[in-house]
Amino acid sequence: MSSEKRFRIGVDTGGTFVDAVEFDEETRKFRMAKSPTTPSDPTIGFLNALQKLGTPLDQTYLILHGTTLGVNAIIQMKGVLNGMITNQGFKDVFEIGRGDVPSASMYDYNYLKPPRIVKRRRIAEIPGRIDHEGNIIRDLDEQAANVALRRLVDDQKVRSIAVSLLHSYKNADHEERIKSIASKTHPNLSVSISSEVVSEYREYERTSTTVLDAYIKPIIAEYLHKLERTLSVNGFKGVLLITRSDGGMMTAATAANSPISTVQSGPAGGVVGGSHLAALTKRQKLITMDIGGTSLDVCVIEDGQANVIHQSQVEHYPLLLTMYDVRSIGAGGGSIATVKTGLLQVGPESAGADPGPMCYGRGGTRPTVTDASVILGYIDPETFLAGDMPLKPELAREGIAEEVVRPLGVDLVEAAAGIMKVTAANSMGAIKQITVEEGRDPAEYALLAFGGAGPLFGAILALELGIPTVIVPSAPAAFSALGMLMSDISYEVSQTDISVLEESSIEGIRKFFAPLESRVRGILLRQEAPFKKVRVHRLLELRYLGQEHSLEISIDDANSVSEIKASFDAFHFKRYGHKIDDLVEIVNFRARAVGLLEKPDLPKLAKATDATPPPMKRREAYCLTSDKMTDFGVYRREQLKPGHVVEGPAIIDEGVTRTVIHTGQSLNVDEIGNLVITA
Amino acid sequence: MSLTRGAKKSVSSGIVSELVRSHLASAAEEMRSALIRTAFNPVVYDVLDFGISIYDRNLDLIAEAPGVPSFIGANDYAIGKAVEYVGEENMEQGDILLMNYPYWNSAHTYDATLFAPVFHNDNELFAYQVIRAHWMDLGAKDPGYVLDSTNMHQEGIVFPGTKVVKKGELNKEVLEILRFNSRMPAEITGDLNAQISSIRTGERRLHQIADKFGLEALKSSIEKMLRAGEESSLEALSRLPHGSWSAEDYLDDDGITDELIPMKATVSISQNEFKVDFAGSAGVARGPVNMPLGSTYSTCKIVFKSLTTPHLPSNAGNYRPLKVEASPGTLFNAVYPAPTFTLWTGIVALELVYKAAAVGLKDFISASSGGDLPGFMMVGVHKTSGRFYALSNNEPVGWGAAPNHDGANALEHHSVCIGRNTPIEVLELRTGMTIESMSLRTDSGGPGRFRGGLGIERRIRFVEDGEFLSVMKKSKTRTWGLAGGLGTHPSGLRIYVGTDREKRVGTRRIPVKPGDVCTLVTAGGGGYGAPFERDPQMVLEDFLDGYVSEEVASKAYGVVISDGKVDLRATERLRAKLRDLG
Repeated sequence: MSSEKRFRIGVDTGGTFVDAVEFDEETRKFRMAKSPTTPSDPTIGFLNALQKLGTPLDQTYLILHGTTLGVNAIIQMKGVLNGMITNQGFKDVFEIGRGDVPSASMYDYNYLKPPRIVKRRRIAEIPGRIDHEGNIIRDLDEQAANVALRRLVDDQKVRSIAVSLLHSYKNADHEERIKSIASKTHPNLSVSISSEVVSEYREYERTSTTVLDAYIKPIIAEYLHKLERTLSVNGFKGVLLITRSDGGMMTAATAANSPISTVQSGPAGGVVGGSHLAALTKRQKLITMDIGGTSLDVCVIEDGQANVIHQSQVEHYPLLLTMYDVRSIGAGGGSIATVKTGLLQVGPESAGADPGPMCYGRGGTRPTVTDASVILGYIDPETFLAGDMPLKPELAREGIAEEVVRPLGVDLVEAAAGIMKVTAANSMGAIKQITVEEGRDPAEYALLAFGGAGPLFGAILALELGIPTVIVPSAPAAFSALGMLMSDISYEVSQTDISVLEESSIEGIRKFFAPLESRVRGILLRQEAPFKKVRVHRLLELRYLGQEHSLEISIDDANSVSEIKASFDAFHFKRYGHKIDDLVEIVNFRARAVGLLEKPDLPKLAKATDATPPPMKRREAYCLTSDKMTDFGVYRREQLKPGHVVEGPAIIDEGVTRTVIHTGQSLNVDEIGNLVITA
Repeated sequence: MSLTRGAKKSVSSGIVSELVRSHLASAAEEMRSALIRTAFNPVVYDVLDFGISIYDRNLDLIAEAPGVPSFIGANDYAIGKAVEYVGEENMEQGDILLMNYPYWNSAHTYDATLFAPVFHNDNELFAYQVIRAHWMDLGAKDPGYVLDSTNMHQEGIVFPGTKVVKKGELNKEVLEILRFNSRMPAEITGDLNAQISSIRTGERRLHQIADKFGLEALKSSIEKMLRAGEESSLEALSRLPHGSWSAEDYLDDDGITDELIPMKATVSISQNEFKVDFAGSAGVARGPVNMPLGSTYSTCKIVFKSLTTPHLPSNAGNYRPLKVEASPGTLFNAVYPAPTFTLWTGIVALELVYKAAAVGLKDFISASSGGDLPGFMMVGVHKTSGRFYALSNNEPVGWGAAPNHDGANALEHHSVCIGRNTPIEVLELRTGMTIESMSLRTDSGGPGRFRGGLGIERRIRFVEDGEFLSVMKKSKTRTWGLAGGLGTHPSGLRIYVGTDREKRVGTRRIPVKPGDVCTLVTAGGGGYGAPFERDPQMVLEDFLDGYVSEEVASKAYGVVISDGKVDLRATERLRAKLRDLG
């Protein structure tokens, strides 16, 4: 192995911290470092984390990076000044949308839509119309396109435009011509056209996806450009890869051209890690659960594959984008506890990192889950963040006494335990959404708990949900960054073409796929990365005639239309409990190219030769299975080796996070160092 | 077990009660996804035309899952009538009953209400589940929708509370009666099965909850939860002005004649009561616009909930302070055999109740929305596949301006606000119409210090033969503004545009041929506060975005715009002059 190829690094820039994980191909070991996020210039926090890690960048060949920059720009309305070009008569497709109110606001007579991210004055209509069969019924007025561009760019100074025309999924000619005109007249303008962003039907959803893409494109492009330059100055000569929302990777150049695919770049890393871990530990079914400071993200892995969806929302704006089916709720270490009309509520409001929980002593005035954990003895105030940040338990005590004990008339411990229980109940709701509400039995799954607070809640949630096993990986707080190291390069293109499956032939379907496959393969190969090999997968989205919801099936192994139909029927039955004796309709064709990368293997650790060591110390903490303060054994994680077994109640402290098991629960260490809890 | 151990000790009831609430809410959610997952009928899985609720033995609502707002309150009334009819003592573990008698069901016959008792340890009844869903056909006089029935017996077969499942066994005889009375027997059977499977899911979950917490702890937690619900409503009432206020409005017609139908509501708010009285409204109508009392209740519940605790989960405690009065045998309290099929009265009356409340609550309430739910449907035979199609769309309207902000542009009417419109690309693909334009209507928002939201306009050119159905019931009278804000022109449809048959209509079934054009406009929301008090900068912003024309900026708002800027001095002069003119 040449020395330039010794290291790869995963970097996960979150809302609070940048986590960086190094993998050394020579020693086969991981190391991690953490540094605060620097929102004004995220490259600084990125570099700080790398410097803290100390990896020689000139010996690093891959940096894999997940960023929340794009999604934050959308949520905080800090995208660029943008404009839009659309068909004559349809400038309001984006503002009218589907007209629906989110169900949480169904009784709100004063409901307001989310603020418009493209003002109506910056939407230009131009003549030209294509029908639902792709026929041009009125040709594009190029002169009008010129005028529109001049008005938007020269007069109104927009930096980025979205072009979204009706039925462009069927015929992209007009959109492409507008893009080509723009590239001649305004070469510096950022242009996103809907047929390239997502060539699928339903004009509002496609337009929304394209507008969001345009809104963040210059920001992502500038960030990545700067990041590449900074890394290069610091000696990095390898490839910078960015995490896509579906867990695949893409080069920085591809990401700059398709920024919307980074919208779930953050949580995706943990799910990739989960899929990899599922394979390593030979588990078919896993629930990944990442609990950080403000939110809980959960995702289901079946047959070793994480579930993906093709439509989702950000800030009530729909996105047609393949991404992991991650469900999130506002529950984490920073979630705030309040009592309203006699009932205890926790979250979704969070104290965040600043001021943070009261016990941080940085001006927090409302008690949080972390404060409750301190009162209940789970967190040792002395060793928090490996002693970097001693906590002030008296502030936690005062806060809970004032906000919970007083209004509820319970004692301090009961109040703190109540905060944990309500948080656990909310978290269970999110896990139920992706399991029982989708017809999946939690008893068949293992729960992979990570993030700062995941290992704290994993064992008790599993017990409540009837999940038999919990896995806490090594370095759980940086697991998302670690997961990125396990990813492959991928790209996906899709195309709506609605037709009846039974009236198609397998040859016809393959022929339709051919240009999609060559396009996706081309995009993949242009990304110069160290692939082992490239595979292209063909997927169809199908539904029974007259249905609206469709299901995606792989047709890689299908040799006839009747085989496709049979696998669709079977999948529909598995998912919905019935099949229908009716024709099947093809909705979308989707080609996915994957360039496989070498994966770091998690080395097997030597089995312990000694008996399980005694706890480092003992501490009073709250046992949630017996509902009382109990004597817990406290271990340091590095004390525990494969083969060791710990009986609850116990706390496994690793400074940044702690794993808690209660009376009646136990854990052992598996051969790659995971804590495996029997709930 | 851990999270629930505390429950049995029942010390910290505020904590346990919250745990019970979230478990019950999660059970309702699970029932909802089971229904959506297994339903056959797009009205269920897309339009969300269903209502799911869980009650305790006292028939108090303890959890619900989001569906169409007007459906949820309907279950509360229906379960009371159904249990009264069947008798609690006649219910057994595993029973599921069907009820659609409109006067008890709080809706028309096609909303099939299934309900089931839930027993703890096979012997103690402790809860009821209710799921209603719109079925495609139960044998009414016309297929699809009924717009002109004159008595209940033209509206389909009726079940008063009949065991479709008895002690866990499907009653095949009832199923056969259903099938033989429907034009779409396969769909009906599919939806019945979906509702049954949803009830089974809920039952399993409720059993687990009862086992977990124990029945006693469950009861005391529910009691506390309901009390908290009531307290939060009372607390909200105490913050509202107290008094009694009335308003009147009109429904377009009864579906038989063209006469306006007068409606009147009086809202009285005191420290511990919110009363809505419909005295002064029309008597029973000849056509199917009469409201079953339960449906009148649902309408009032939406208003009450939105004015008191819009963001808290619903339970029966919330609604304890609400009283509704309507004399039997009138428009708002239909009795047998009055026809009730067209449910649009509840949609229009929702805004009537707001209008009455707004007289006293103008600091808390928004002006009228577009005031109606303009819907359309095209039916025909698809050119390429030869299959019969029927595809509908609910158009959005402008929402009313609030005391502190402009109304939202183009949203579905409050009564169905979580439902969605149908995409243009789907309409063009699936039906014989081309949408020539669809946009917000400049100047359609009611002028005010805060402007009403804009309605939309849509121009449709038909490219195939078929029928176009339009349903709206407030196309003849204006909407209302508040606190000096102005109302708006109502929604309406122009058919056969550009020919000598061109005509403005409301509810209508229209035969169409290729080349025919119609234009549909939907009303904007009313304005709030005097238009001359609107910040001229906001008027300018509206002008720049094309929400308001230059003409209306000057005429309605007294704002003079020149060279893309507000001419402040000219504006002052104009406003003074317009004020003088009154």
